[in-house]
Amino acid sequence: MSKLTEIRWHGRGGQGAVTSAEVMGLSAIEEGKFAQAFPSFGPERRGAPVLAFNRISDSEHIRMRSAVTQPDIVVVLDPGLLGIIDVTRGLKEGGVLIINSSKSLLDIKSEFEGPWTLAVVDATAIAMEVLKIPIVNTAMLGAMVKVTGVVKLESLAEPLGERFGKLAEKNIAACRRAYDEVSIAAQGAVSQRPEKTFGEVTWPSWQELLPGGVVTDAGNARSYRTGDWRSDRPIWDHDRCIKCGVCMLFCPEGCVEQNEQGYFEANYYYCKGCGICARECWTQAITMVEEAKA
Amino acid sequence: METLALYVPRLLEKKENFAPGHRACSGCGEALAVRMVMKALGKNVIVVMATGCMEIISTQLPYTSWEVPWIHTLFENTAAVASGVVAGREALTRKGKASSRTKVVAMAGDGATADIGVQALSGALERGHDFTYICFDNEAYMNTGIQRSSATPFGAATTTQPVGKISMGQNTWKKDMPAIAVAHNIPYVATASPSYPFDLMNKVKKARDIEGPAYLHILSVCPTGWRTPSDLSVRIGRLAVETGVFPLYEVENGKYTLNIDPPQLRSVEDYLKLQGRFKHLTPEMIKEIQEKVEAKYAELVEKVLFYDGF
Ligand SMILES: Cc1ncc(C[n+]2csc(CCOP(=O)(O)OP(=O)(O)O)c2C)c(N)n1
Ligand code: SF4
Repeated sequence: MSKLTEIRWHGRGGQGAVTSAEVMGLSAIEEGKFAQAFPSFGPERRGAPVLAFNRISDSEHIRMRSAVTQPDIVVVLDPGLLGIIDVTRGLKEGGVLIINSSKSLLDIKSEFEGPWTLAVVDATAIAMEVLKIPIVNTAMLGAMVKVTGVVKLESLAEPLGERFGKLAEKNIAACRRAYDEVSIAAQGAVSQRPEKTFGEVTWPSWQELLPGGVVTDAGNARSYRTGDWRSDRPIWDHDRCIKCGVCMLFCPEGCVEQNEQGYFEANYYYCKGCGICARECWTQAITMVEEAKA
Repeated sequence: METLALYVPRLLEKKENFAPGHRACSGCGEALAVRMVMKALGKNVIVVMATGCMEIISTQLPYTSWEVPWIHTLFENTAAVASGVVAGREALTRKGKASSRTKVVAMAGDGATADIGVQALSGALERGHDFTYICFDNEAYMNTGIQRSSATPFGAATTTQPVGKISMGQNTWKKDMPAIAVAHNIPYVATASPSYPFDLMNKVKKARDIEGPAYLHILSVCPTGWRTPSDLSVRIGRLAVETGVFPLYEVENGKYTLNIDPPQLRSVEDYLKLQGRFKHLTPEMIKEIQEKVEAKYAELVEKVLFYDGF
């Protein structure tokens, strides 16, 4: 029987998870295999958590068209997602989990050890050094190829070249560096999945919906969190703030509120970290701080 | 530049009638514009909205960001549905079951307004229904991935007018939708920008309160489609006005007023160079745009002066 490998990519809108999946699929086809690459569609926009998938088969057509729910391989492009999404959901025993993080393998292991091979690479640092922008998708491809061997490193070159044109050389370099630098822990002895709970949304079934899709609970989007799209957060310096409220005026989310002392603060449940408030503040009282460091 | 009153909180309606938890892109200028419009409109309105980004991001079943009655329409019939809602309101008012104080406001993107819904809009304006139509112009079909519309400006790269050997982005000039609205002899037409919030909110209130049709055209910066950093949305909107690319004016019963009239227009390059969709422009194309902007601006000033003469 032919071997089918299923891959799930976790990223944020605009980070290139979909491109990673595409390049991976094309590389497999390059080797004469069969492959699929597709994103999961949703209304979510730039900054929101997104998924992309691959199916790769050695020698047989792939008939399945549904989303991958039980992946053999999970790749996490954005370390910020680790706290808000269960990235190991459905990951098969004996599978592989590859995480972009500046943390050491030991630290990551304490959180994500399970019945799978765990690998960590600081793809953001590599991308900043090689590409000068924090786009990590090509570096993560390199790390993933090293850990899993789904395709050969050389097979990535042509699709990367086609996809990135002038920038191909640098992206291939980033890919190669991650290939060399990724640290891998052998499959965990623990057979238990890590216990983690995440806020789950329950959806009404179609029978419970009103005809015409009428929603009677005005403004109920307030219960929907968009704060986890954020990669930078605004921080107010009260010494500089003159309490003018320009930040409140220009917030596309309407999530900047005035507190009892008259200062302003963002409601981080909604704040997407666009940075307009920091840009518009007259006295430059607001700075955008990287979420991971805040 | 509009003098931003210090102490905004005292002047600004606190209530958010467009609730957070909506899923617009980070830094979306269109969502910002909708938020300000809803602050100005208050609660006694019925909103009729075409499909497009703002519909998709605000009403994902089972959630809604709307604090007022809101109905989703097709692309082509927004103004027709709004006309029907007005007629319904009037019938119920006659029976004493509703009040004409409840305002009807249609909202749509530039594709839904300038291309696909223009016929229904023209009909509704010409029939003279008592409603307000607001076009949120982000200069392309953004919801489906940046396809060009007739409101896309000359030179802008879109996915259907990309940049390459044959095409250098949009090869036509932006359709002048406000002028088309003015041609219907309606009582109120205005342009606005969320970068000038108080000007925008005043115009929304004026449009709402005027009897008969009112048309508002709001330039809405789209960081995703314009290829701009998300924190620059307000700044770029301001530059559109300061360079004369998008002048802010009102036409009340045919009388033109320029609301923001910078003593000297900045060079259009200041506006264009911040945007990825224009990064391929040649100096000749920029010159062409500069000349066109100046000519259109002069035309506008002439109309304003003409009425000042009375
Ligand atoms: C008749 C019809 N054609 C196409 C579509 C698909 N569609 C949905 S939203 C959209 C783009 C809307 O663009 P615009 O009106 O400019 O608003 P924006 O999304 O830019 O705010 C398209 C093409 C549709 N819903 N109906
Ligand atoms: S694509 Fe543009 S208009 Fe649509 S939600 Fe995103 S930023 Fe706003």
